[in-house]
Amino acid sequence: MNPNDEVIAGARDRALERIAAAAVEADLEAVRVEVLGRKGLLAGVSKDFGKMAPEERARMGKLLNAVKQEVETALESRKAAFASAALAARLDSEWLDLTLPAPPPRRGSLHPVTLIQTEIEDLFISMGFTVLDGPEVETEEHNFDALNIPGDHPARDAQDTFWLTDGNLLRTHTSPVQVRGMRKLGPPLRMIAPGRVFRNEEVDASHEHTFYQLEGMMVDRDVSVAHLIFFMKTLLTSIFRREVTVRLRPGYFPFVEPGFELDIQCLICGGPGCPVCKQSGWVELLPCGLVNPNVLRMSGIDPEQWNGFAFGLGLTRLAMMRYAIDDIRLLLGGDLRFLNQF
Amino acid sequence: MKFSYNWLCELVDGLAADPVKLGQLITMKTAECDGVETFAPWLARVAAAKVLSAEPIEGSHNRKAVVDAGRYGRRTVVCGAPNCRAGMVTAYVPPGTELGSMTIGKRVVDGVESDGMLASGYELGVNRDHSGILELAGDVFEPGPDAVIEIDNKSLTHRPDLWGHHGMAREAAAIAGAKLKEPARLSRIPAGAAPVKVEIEDYTLCPRYSALVFENVTVRPSPLWLQCRLEAVGLNSINNIVDVTNFVMAELAQPMHAFDADKLRGDTIFARPARSGERILALNGETYDLTPSNTVIADAGGPIAIAGVIGGGESAISEITTRIVLESANFMASNVRRTSSALKLRTDASMRFEKAQDPANTLRGLARAIELLEQVSPGIRLVGGLADAWRPKPAPQPITLPLEWLYRKLGRAVEKDEVRRILESIEFGVAEPEPGVFLVTVPSWRSTKDIAIKDDLVEEVGRMIGYGSITPRPPMVAATVPPTNEERRYHRRVRELMTDEGFTEVYNYSFVSDETAEKFGHADLVRVSNPIAVGQNLLRKSLIPGVWKNVLDNARHFDSFRLFEIGQEIHKRAEGLPEETAHLAAAVYAKAGDGREGLFELKRVAQCLASTIEVEAGEALAYEHPARTGRLKIGGETVGRLFEFHPSFVETGRAAVLDIDLGALERLLPRMQKYTQIRRLPASAFDLSVITELRRPVGWIERQLTTLGGVDLLAIEFLREYAGAPLAEGTKSVSFRLTVGAADRTLSSDEVGVIRARIIDGMRGWNYELRV
Repeated sequence: MNPNDEVIAGARDRALERIAAAAVEADLEAVRVEVLGRKGLLAGVSKDFGKMAPEERARMGKLLNAVKQEVETALESRKAAFASAALAARLDSEWLDLTLPAPPPRRGSLHPVTLIQTEIEDLFISMGFTVLDGPEVETEEHNFDALNIPGDHPARDAQDTFWLTDGNLLRTHTSPVQVRGMRKLGPPLRMIAPGRVFRNEEVDASHEHTFYQLEGMMVDRDVSVAHLIFFMKTLLTSIFRREVTVRLRPGYFPFVEPGFELDIQCLICGGPGCPVCKQSGWVELLPCGLVNPNVLRMSGIDPEQWNGFAFGLGLTRLAMMRYAIDDIRLLLGGDLRFLNQF
Repeated sequence: MKFSYNWLCELVDGLAADPVKLGQLITMKTAECDGVETFAPWLARVAAAKVLSAEPIEGSHNRKAVVDAGRYGRRTVVCGAPNCRAGMVTAYVPPGTELGSMTIGKRVVDGVESDGMLASGYELGVNRDHSGILELAGDVFEPGPDAVIEIDNKSLTHRPDLWGHHGMAREAAAIAGAKLKEPARLSRIPAGAAPVKVEIEDYTLCPRYSALVFENVTVRPSPLWLQCRLEAVGLNSINNIVDVTNFVMAELAQPMHAFDADKLRGDTIFARPARSGERILALNGETYDLTPSNTVIADAGGPIAIAGVIGGGESAISEITTRIVLESANFMASNVRRTSSALKLRTDASMRFEKAQDPANTLRGLARAIELLEQVSPGIRLVGGLADAWRPKPAPQPITLPLEWLYRKLGRAVEKDEVRRILESIEFGVAEPEPGVFLVTVPSWRSTKDIAIKDDLVEEVGRMIGYGSITPRPPMVAATVPPTNEERRYHRRVRELMTDEGFTEVYNYSFVSDETAEKFGHADLVRVSNPIAVGQNLLRKSLIPGVWKNVLDNARHFDSFRLFEIGQEIHKRAEGLPEETAHLAAAVYAKAGDGREGLFELKRVAQCLASTIEVEAGEALAYEHPARTGRLKIGGETVGRLFEFHPSFVETGRAAVLDIDLGALERLLPRMQKYTQIRRLPASAFDLSVITELRRPVGWIERQLTTLGGVDLLAIEFLREYAGAPLAEGTKSVSFRLTVGAADRTLSSDEVGVIRARIIDGMRGWNYELRV
């Protein structure tokens, strides 16, 4: 019996025992160094190899390897157990109460008029209309004369105008963009023009001197009242996201002939009458009509060849209807308590 | 414009629709009805009452009156009116009547049980006299309840004929298929020589002037029915003569005027432009200075009326008037309108004339007035014949109306006979010279301005068939792609980016005050000549004042916020329209903190908008923090500013502001982005620290290093800046990581060393030491 047999067996037993008893992962490293290290218990046995007979050396080598293997396996398995326990402890320590309220979102928002304007722009772009712009400061010619409203026309009363000291004016409607569109693009033409307009009016909960309109115009061959009603129904169905009943009745605007007021059946009461529709069952929504041939002619379009329709939508009014805003002054008031809601 | 339902019914045979229904029909076919109101419904219960006795009540100014109240029998009432006396016939209101807001009851007054009341014209709403109880001429109380149909004046702008009941009655008759009656009998116009001469200087200004002279006139209050009719349509009763002129105006849309003939100087009436320096005392008691742009009616002594607007005070009808000249004339619409706006004097007459009245109507007005005057001023006599100066205008050309064209415009076909019936129902003449083409004659009252071309007839047919009968149909058009509005598309992208970054969109007014403009150093702004308020007389040339107000307003409610606006700056130009440029203005406000965060947040936003944007230090504007301001540049071009509001502008907290010219930004953005090949060769990096004076901008140092690096420099990254020991006072060290390489090979460490040395030497050449 080689005395090394005893040393090896002793080292093995001691190692396995200490591995089993290790309290922390560092204890395992100590065992490894003490048993398997270069100066460890088993290394001493290797030193005696030179003195051994070849058969004995072979047997001893085998034994030594088996024991090393056994101890290393035990170490690894114990190490894995430590890691798994550590992970479990970490996971447990990271418990989060997800029912706590989330931090408030840092969220911007678009103006309600922007929201509704974008929607309508997209709708008309999808139907082949282009979006045009015109200046807020306009010439009298674009704002009135070219729209068949000469200087002494009583229709000018309906549009209280801000005049500028240079003789120009703040546009009272988006209709001058019709004139610009016709002159720039010529027929056939499908255009809309959203924008800011001005009327010299005292401000109260339902009146503003600054508001938004969206002008629309189509010039082509044989444009009819039937086409106009089609586009208006499509527009309103899209805005209100449901089928709306419309009616056209005579309305006078010098730039259209015939001219209409378009009413929609009251969306609140559906017809029988309520305070919103002033008991009439109808809400006046937008003026429209077939373009007056004089207007076409003044913008260089031959009314015998071309005709068209035009409409003017009150974006501000529509935004108020959509979001049930009861005070028009909120829209240009810049109050974030209001604007953050959109 | 108020229309009396009773009046309309008198003018239309067989009008069955009730007032509300009639209002709805008019709305759908003719003009917008603003509402229908009952007029004095209590009049149905009022009866004529003969006062049998009126005895004083002791200790009271009231009297105890016993009346014979017709269908109500004998009643006892307490009456306080001074004119209450036995033998008079007055109006009795029985208990239980709702009179305006009060209910007449049986109650004890001064110890006497009053069984109803005796009423004044004012209390009954039939006139405005509250001096005593009504004095009835006969023993019948004629006025009854009415309904008033209120039509929106705006929807009558183009319809001179609808400024009188007869015109609206014609519409009602056509809509209801009933028959219109003609109240004026032209046969009443007398033949013979006119007792006055009329001279018209310019027939454009006054196309027609017709007049009659009456004598043996009695001026007194109008009969109750006439007072009540005028009251119903909102006109004030003056006296019988003036009331007749107003009645004719309200019925036939023909304004008239009565002069006291004895007050006129000479026997000629002139219609002419006013002479410079002429003045007139008008019926309303005001004196007006006239200019040659005003048309006047004058006698030998000067103006006696402002044509189509108002009569003169000196020739007005009074109690002593016995002879009158009755004017029924026609004036040029635009001239009346200009005069009326220049004098700031809108009258019932001017409102009608400015709509272009029908010159043929003057005689109808006179014919109707003759009969009315005979009723209200018994014994009145015409003197001589008609004075009538006018130049007949050529009849308007009939309009050719191809029916196929009409159908294409409407988008539906209509029976030919139906088109004819509709046009004839509103008194258009219809001939059919060739099959399918109508030749339409327009009546005189529609041809002054309203109807001239075939498009106008589309409306006449369309409104009567009802637009509801037209089926909506999409047009057949070429499927072309519309031109894209790049500017709007770009603004939309900016809006999305801003909201993604947590900013809320605001809209601000385009107006600023003188005070604000001065505070911000904004000069040469476009000015409003008729501002609504003194604080709103200039147009903004910057969005910043608006954003500043937003910051102050919202700082009252929030400790921190972000907001932005996209709007037009309006800049005056030497000539033509002002230049309008779209700007983005954004603000970050924080009550706490040193303000750095907000400024750098906005810088990041700017760089999100354009990665090539750089900030360059520059001079501060009046409202900017002098040590926290910079110009935003792309290439060499300034596109905006980044700054903090001067502490005198925002006293609590700090507000960082970004102001960018979106037009310039969009123009400078790369249109088509090209792909750059991914570098596959390894590059080398080294760090350099430059020692500079404390306020030397990092951006400047970076630019120097970049220039020195030349083509070899692939990237430069700012690492940190440091000031303090062991550096000398007043200096700092700024560290960068520089990455260098060649396009086609890997640089050797010697080559990297050469580049590095070149950069260091370059900096030293400018006297900047490096920590290496």
